[in-house]
Amino acid sequence: MANINWRTINIDALDPESSYNFDLSTLTPAVQPVSTADVQTLTGQIRQLLRGGDASGALQGALENAPYGADEQGKAAHLSVVTECLNQIRQAEMTPLLQRMYKAEGGSELCDTLMKYLYKGMSQGTDTPTRNHAGAKSMTPQATGGFSQAGGRNFGGTEGGGQAMSVFLSWHEKLVEMVGPGSIVRVMSDRRTV
Amino acid sequence: MAAPEVHHLFHAPIADHSFSSDRSTLAVARDNNVELYKRSGNAFRLQDELRGHDKTITGVDIAPRSGRIVTSSQDRNAYVWEPSKNGEWKPTLVLLRINRAATCVRWCPSENKFAVGSGARIIAVCYFEEENDWWVSKHLKKPLRSTVTSVAWHPNSVLLAAGSTDGHARVFSSFIKGTDERPEPSAWGERLPFNTVCGEYLNPTAGWVHDVAFSPSGDALAFCAHDSSVTIVYPSAPEQPPQAVISVSTQLLPFTSLLWSSETELVCAGYDCGVYRFSGSSDGWQLTGTLEKDTSQSRPGMEQREESALNMFRSMDLKGRSGAGVDDTKLKTVHQNSINTLRAYDESGGQVAKISTGGVDGRVVVWNL
Repeated sequence: MANINWRTINIDALDPESSYNFDLSTLTPAVQPVSTADVQTLTGQIRQLLRGGDASGALQGALENAPYGADEQGKAAHLSVVTECLNQIRQAEMTPLLQRMYKAEGGSELCDTLMKYLYKGMSQGTDTPTRNHAGAKSMTPQATGGFSQAGGRNFGGTEGGGQAMSVFLSWHEKLVEMVGPGSIVRVMSDRRTV
Repeated sequence: MAAPEVHHLFHAPIADHSFSSDRSTLAVARDNNVELYKRSGNAFRLQDELRGHDKTITGVDIAPRSGRIVTSSQDRNAYVWEPSKNGEWKPTLVLLRINRAATCVRWCPSENKFAVGSGARIIAVCYFEEENDWWVSKHLKKPLRSTVTSVAWHPNSVLLAAGSTDGHARVFSSFIKGTDERPEPSAWGERLPFNTVCGEYLNPTAGWVHDVAFSPSGDALAFCAHDSSVTIVYPSAPEQPPQAVISVSTQLLPFTSLLWSSETELVCAGYDCGVYRFSGSSDGWQLTGTLEKDTSQSRPGMEQREESALNMFRSMDLKGRSGAGVDDTKLKTVHQNSINTLRAYDESGGQVAKISTGGVDGRVVVWNL
């Protein structure tokens, strides 16, 4: 008894009124749960569009159907298909494409979603190691109610990482030009993570 | 439009500021004290200091008619300051009964109550108890799940709006028997016992709410959140889903404070250091412009900056800055740092003609709308 370090006791856990004992997910906007199989069907369709040469259509489709309710695996699958779309679109086409997207109905929402994928992509390093350390990343930040974008940054960037990063960075630059810092703040504050 | 009136008071953040009803006295929260400034000519002179809190002050509000000042602080206390006969301010401690910092405080329009938001997930509604001769509080607890960042009163002095870091803006009843008169039924509710939740609203991203405000009539509620958006809610009828919830996402940094200048116009300010206007109705809202005037003046600066590549590289090399001779250490806005609070300065008939802002840069600015 005498050895208890009182300072390390989590007093919040003992307080029934504390937010520690409260499921914070009930406060967030409701998202429809999406099964991994559904995400796979969707990514299949998007890849088909991509093979057909319609990269901008594929990107639009991918962003419109972002699986907020999917598990970590489903989200990773969707991220990789978004990354493929982004890689396929040439630098010169970025701005006109973004402009078209932003002007359209609900466009600012799409741009915010794209921003989320850019940050998620940048936090993951390259596309290939993503799959390798998908297991290591299974300590889902979701469970702590935190922001998954902030967690799990891969600092040990591998050789191929620079290429992928430069794609994300040039998209990021073009996107910020259009939607301003507001979109970045929304990525940080949004509870619907990608 | 006349230029804004800038008062650079000191080099410290202003957490909150409040003018007396005749606008001759300005109360400013600076660290652990509230400083009272008196207008003399075009400037404000330090006149008095309210000492008593021992942690940072988070809110200060002067009641327009009685002249009483209420302050809230991170030391978990609130004081009501009253002027005594010899010109000194006499503090009365308020029994808040909270175990975390008090974050904000506002007098209700009838001035017999005030609300204190806190980090303890509680709003303390405080009123004066004659028989004991002190200020006591009743707690609004449910369903707050996180720190209360802001409180705002409905014109009927019973309904209270609160923004919280759990992402919700809520409307409560703070009806206190014996202190309040029974309010007229409105779209928010008909029977309003204490702690009735009349509305609970979330914006699309569930970003934490910085500020809330009722429209002058009290029939609409606006709140700004950390996702750089402003959301306006029009209630329909008690216990019914609202008639319209309009969310405007901006390209700017988040707003920390907002104010209705009329029934169809909002003024917002925050981390972008400027003051922005929104206008609209239950059919839709949009950003209509800024109060900063110097957008035209900044253009010549930009041209000058691109004047010659040689100058640019020389300046980068010698001075380590990219502009040639342009002072780029100053922001183009009037405030040189985030704006914390926005207040009505001059209003008549539900129309606000002048507003005042206080910011992290130690400036209080009075703007013409």
